[in-house]
Amino acid sequence: MEDLFTFLESEGVDAALLQGVKAFRDAHPVTAELKERVPQPEYFYYGKKTWELALAALLAGKNLLLAGPKATGKNVLSENLAALFARPMWNVSFHINTDAAALVGTDTYDGHAVVFRPGPIYLCAEQGGFGVLDEINMAKNEALAVLHAALDFRRSLDVPGYRRIDLREETRFIATMNYGYAGTRDLNEALTSRFAVLDMPVISEEDLQKLISRRYPGINVKIRDQLVKLYGELERKAESAEISDSALDLRGLLDAIALMEQGLSSGDALRMCIVNKSFDSYERGLIHDVIAARIPGDLARKDVFPA
Amino acid sequence: MIKKQFSGSARRARNVVWNAAGRYDFEPPFLAFFPNGKPDQYFNMVVGLAEKWLELPRIWAFFERYGGDRRAEEFDEFLWLGIENCVYEKELPERPILADLRRARAEEFYRMELTRQQMEMQSMPVYTQQEARWAQTLGRHAVLTPREKRMAEALRFSGALDTDGVLEAMEAFLREFFRYTPPEKPESAKRAGALARLLLRREHRRQDTLLVRAGTGEGDHPRAVQMKHWGLGRHAGPTEADAAYIRAVFGQSALTEHALRGLENELCIGGDEGCRLWFARPGQPAEAIADRDAAEVRASAARQKERNEAFLNAHAAMAQGSIRRLATRIDTIFSSYLRQMPEPARMGRVQSEKAYRLPVLNDPRVFWKDGEETEPEIVVELLLDASQSRMNVQEILASEAYIIAKSLEKAHIPVRVCTFRSLRGYTVLEELKGWSEHGCEGIMCYFAAGWNRDALALEALGRLEDAGMRGKQRIVLVLTDASPNDSTPFAATDALIPREYEGAEAVKAAEDAVRSLRADGLRVGAVFHGSTAHLENVHQIYGHAYVRIQKATQLAQGVSDLLLMLLREARTD
Repeated sequence: MEDLFTFLESEGVDAALLQGVKAFRDAHPVTAELKERVPQPEYFYYGKKTWELALAALLAGKNLLLAGPKATGKNVLSENLAALFARPMWNVSFHINTDAAALVGTDTYDGHAVVFRPGPIYLCAEQGGFGVLDEINMAKNEALAVLHAALDFRRSLDVPGYRRIDLREETRFIATMNYGYAGTRDLNEALTSRFAVLDMPVISEEDLQKLISRRYPGINVKIRDQLVKLYGELERKAESAEISDSALDLRGLLDAIALMEQGLSSGDALRMCIVNKSFDSYERGLIHDVIAARIPGDLARKDVFPA
Repeated sequence: MIKKQFSGSARRARNVVWNAAGRYDFEPPFLAFFPNGKPDQYFNMVVGLAEKWLELPRIWAFFERYGGDRRAEEFDEFLWLGIENCVYEKELPERPILADLRRARAEEFYRMELTRQQMEMQSMPVYTQQEARWAQTLGRHAVLTPREKRMAEALRFSGALDTDGVLEAMEAFLREFFRYTPPEKPESAKRAGALARLLLRREHRRQDTLLVRAGTGEGDHPRAVQMKHWGLGRHAGPTEADAAYIRAVFGQSALTEHALRGLENELCIGGDEGCRLWFARPGQPAEAIADRDAAEVRASAARQKERNEAFLNAHAAMAQGSIRRLATRIDTIFSSYLRQMPEPARMGRVQSEKAYRLPVLNDPRVFWKDGEETEPEIVVELLLDASQSRMNVQEILASEAYIIAKSLEKAHIPVRVCTFRSLRGYTVLEELKGWSEHGCEGIMCYFAAGWNRDALALEALGRLEDAGMRGKQRIVLVLTDASPNDSTPFAATDALIPREYEGAEAVKAAEDAVRSLRADGLRVGAVFHGSTAHLENVHQIYGHAYVRIQKATQLAQGVSDLLLMLLREARTD
């Protein structure tokens, strides 16, 4: 995807790394039937340093663990990476009941015989894909033990009662992990040691401005800047544990702009996409106060998108 | 997820201040409310912006300088009008909506109808200046005398001023229009007295020192009110100076600022709104501040440690005897308790009283079989009331806590010992012995000072979980006199005058806290040391789960009986 390369060059990402990616793509062309699995990202991830760290790790054949609080673009980055390396992507969302069968595969009956139905990790290993292990810390550590051999130097996946397959050279795993101030579990050491861990920074003001402008080129710059500052203020509030991070939602902010573009007033759009994401009336009050101190509630489409 | 149940408006007002300041690590010295108790969003923003653009502590120090003057509140209101204009001009380019918010605030001024009482309390010159400011904002005409016009002009502090400039402008204003120069030294003590004379305008926080108070629990000190008239109110919660005092006495908090905030959000609600929490461990490096009281407290705590140790040494034979007896009893109780538990099953020994369920309800689980699992492991926490009312029995309490903890340790039951006390709006839990610590010598650091806000302390202890006790049955023994009282009143969420934190209401709060801990699976009991007058309180708070100890020789029997009672209770649940 040329566009992503141009974007990264314009962001100043190290040319040697980008060259490395191109060489990787040339060495591992994607087959026609897997092409539709290569993601077409809607948003680009902004953050030169993070890009460079991630590219270096993947080029070195390492698996990546993207760790960070909500709304730091973990999924956007993992999707962007799969797109940049032009690899088919398998996304597995982890939950408390995730088990080995859900990851590797299970036996099933095809009408004639019991056969093995491969799971996403198996397919990823076999097809040389990028496996995105979303919210990996939601699963019990025991359930993840099956991945140990796949993630370390052995690069193999043993399917009990079936066979052992080796991972293709281009296979990579990118795990994401959200940590908040309450109720999240840590990964155990055995698993963490198999990843290069990338601490995801919160998007900078400047990058957020660029992100909004790229998505909504017609937006009034002054209002864009106020929205960016508003996001920063909500972030500080969540960081200080005055509000939960339910309202700290980058997607919500972008959705609100989309609704303003559709003709909703700024007040209604922000209420739907940010304020109402909290289900605690007191917290809503706090979020509302922050918005009211930044954005007038009666901005119409012509104010936000003058052209 | 941390459950949040907020109420009241002080926290909301603080949030507006913090948001405008762009920082959350300070306590606003001022908060503004409308007469109906709603935060005055615009003026709270102004307070926050003052923190952002100016050096708020210096401004606050200036306010303190004239604190003893009877016109202090009036001066506050004038000067905040000046500051408002200054920070407004500074912030406007970055926050264009400020112009709208200012206009809305001006309109609010004209919409507001003051009651007669509020009118009487309102200073007319201040009112005139406010009117002048808001009329100008809305482009209206206000009728002013030439002097009032000059005042209004002088109060339009320019946005180009820095902190020094604002301080100069404030001083010049007071000099020109009131022929008054604030004295160089703060007069906070004098001020508190002066303010106390003003109905509904009293301030209490600064007198709430650790050592000077008599331990009667009777409140005769001036109290603050949360809701002020429509100008700026003195903040009812602890200030930065109080936080510095707490740090100076107890050292840095053992919990991170973030974790403390989370806990406060969860617990300092309703009647405890505005209170703060602190988790201390003895020996933490303390912040040095120029507060004689703080230094004296630390010295006195060190002296008390020596006295506690001397007392224990003098009564070593008695203590060793008690420890031996109590440890044996505890060992017996816990080892019988930890045996394998029977569980209902489809086969085994029949439970005759449940046999009817088989034919009538088709429930086949009417047998007992030996369970595979033993009861979860037990851990015990001692929570000691360390308020001033324990002043005369400090050595005895320390040695009793030592005996109980030592006995549990001998019986291989993990034990933690914490004290609690409240002062200057902070409820401080201090860990004298942690789970993993060997030896109970830390308990000798016990000293009595301050007040006791039992309910908040109990709830905070309930949340103070760590890896050492996950999945284990927690038993909490509170060494108490069952007489909660605190200098910080119940937060007034709807009443104009806050109610004192004492008497039946405080007991009720403690009762609720114990109930909530029990609902969370903790076993809570009390070792009661108080006077007969408070016997009813202890019964109300802890139900029948308490023992009364009047002399040390009763300790072994009393505590083991109490533990047995709590364990039986756990089993029948």
